[in-house]
Amino acid sequence: MARPNVQASARAIVSADSRHSTSHAGGDKPRGTSHLPGPALFFGPARYFGMARMFGHARLLAPSIGLPAALATCLSLSTVPAHAQTAEPMPKVVIARVKDPVDKSYRAMIKGMDRFERERALAPQASLRFRLWPRLPNASLDGVTLRVAGDTLTLPVTIGADYSFVLPRSEQALREDAAVLANRKTASLTWRAWVQTPGLPPGARRLGDLRLECRVGMDARLISNSAPLFGWLSNMLANTEETCTSPQGNYLFFAERPIFGVTLRDGARREALPFKLLYASGEQTPQSLPFCDCQVLLDRSYYAPLWDRSWSDDTVLEFEYMDLPAAALKAAP
Amino acid sequence: MRRGAALLLAAAGLLSSGCATREPAPAAVVSEARLQQTVLPGQTTRAQLLAALGDGPAIRFDSGAEVRLFHVPESVGAYREFVVLLDPNGIVAKTRKGALVTPPR
Repeated sequence: MARPNVQASARAIVSADSRHSTSHAGGDKPRGTSHLPGPALFFGPARYFGMARMFGHARLLAPSIGLPAALATCLSLSTVPAHAQTAEPMPKVVIARVKDPVDKSYRAMIKGMDRFERERALAPQASLRFRLWPRLPNASLDGVTLRVAGDTLTLPVTIGADYSFVLPRSEQALREDAAVLANRKTASLTWRAWVQTPGLPPGARRLGDLRLECRVGMDARLISNSAPLFGWLSNMLANTEETCTSPQGNYLFFAERPIFGVTLRDGARREALPFKLLYASGEQTPQSLPFCDCQVLLDRSYYAPLWDRSWSDDTVLEFEYMDLPAAALKAAP
Repeated sequence: MRRGAALLLAAAGLLSSGCATREPAPAAVVSEARLQQTVLPGQTTRAQLLAALGDGPAIRFDSGAEVRLFHVPESVGAYREFVVLLDPNGIVAKTRKGALVTPPR
């Protein structure tokens, strides 16, 4: 398998195609097992934070055996009598899959799902899905597919028309520290949890749902606000409780269409969301925008008052959209 | 250990520098009567808006649409946000009254 070229810039995007293309599973020997005599060797997942992305991924082979010895052993194995070959179970050499540091961790996403179950009180009637959003200019979600990929396991994930999905639970995938991979560059997507209470007005969101979404999303390490090179550091430093309960938490949500305004309604109380809580506070510059997972969703982005307990979990967020006429958009220079 | 901590701090610095943002400009304070006379959806252009009401917080999106914020005095020290949406051709598309805010001094 060809080693992928990796750009050393902060916006390096490692092509994951070679790792999850259909040809990969069949023809790439590093994935899967090979039978060699001698002691069983097992390598856990290798993690090349940052450095691997700069200098290219390296596949773990059985380093202590050496290729010539391994080849000689394989050749000699073919001359061993059948009764001797079946006398003892053959030890396995499991070649680990090297992860892209920006892959979504199956374990982390399951952790998010576990958080959902623990804190259902925020949204007692809601269901949990995850959802994909475009992260880069010209990124398209058309035809996107997902799979859970472990060292020996592959599970397909069904994606809905709205690019949302339910992640299946698998003990084997957990043991193998699987990744959740898309059929396109990981950095071209951003991910969110989606907690939805049924029966709300079309497009409206419930504040308790959003509070739970923040907790699930943070535990699941879905946010891709940083340069991919430091995505692992961002995830490591992020704190779910602080992000989801502080006015400085800055957990961005995305609406279905470009927003003009958001109104909070809790019983008789109605208030407009302040302008500073829309569009990532209006603070993004052309230089900073590429580092925000709102890069191509700025006009749909908003902060919800997750920290403000004067708004109950049953507070409904109602959206007024820009809904500019198509003619105005097309006629623009 | 020291090298690891230094590397972590350096990475954190790079991480945070990549997220450098700007503080929005203060919004122009305009009376409601002036807004009603000046800001006419489907008619008022950006140039007319700026000439009449002045510059302030504005966000231009990839679609070409633009939102601009003004403050309307409502009580002592408190202002009602007034948001104007301009279409990609620079024509006012819609307006709305927003939150009651107390801008920092």
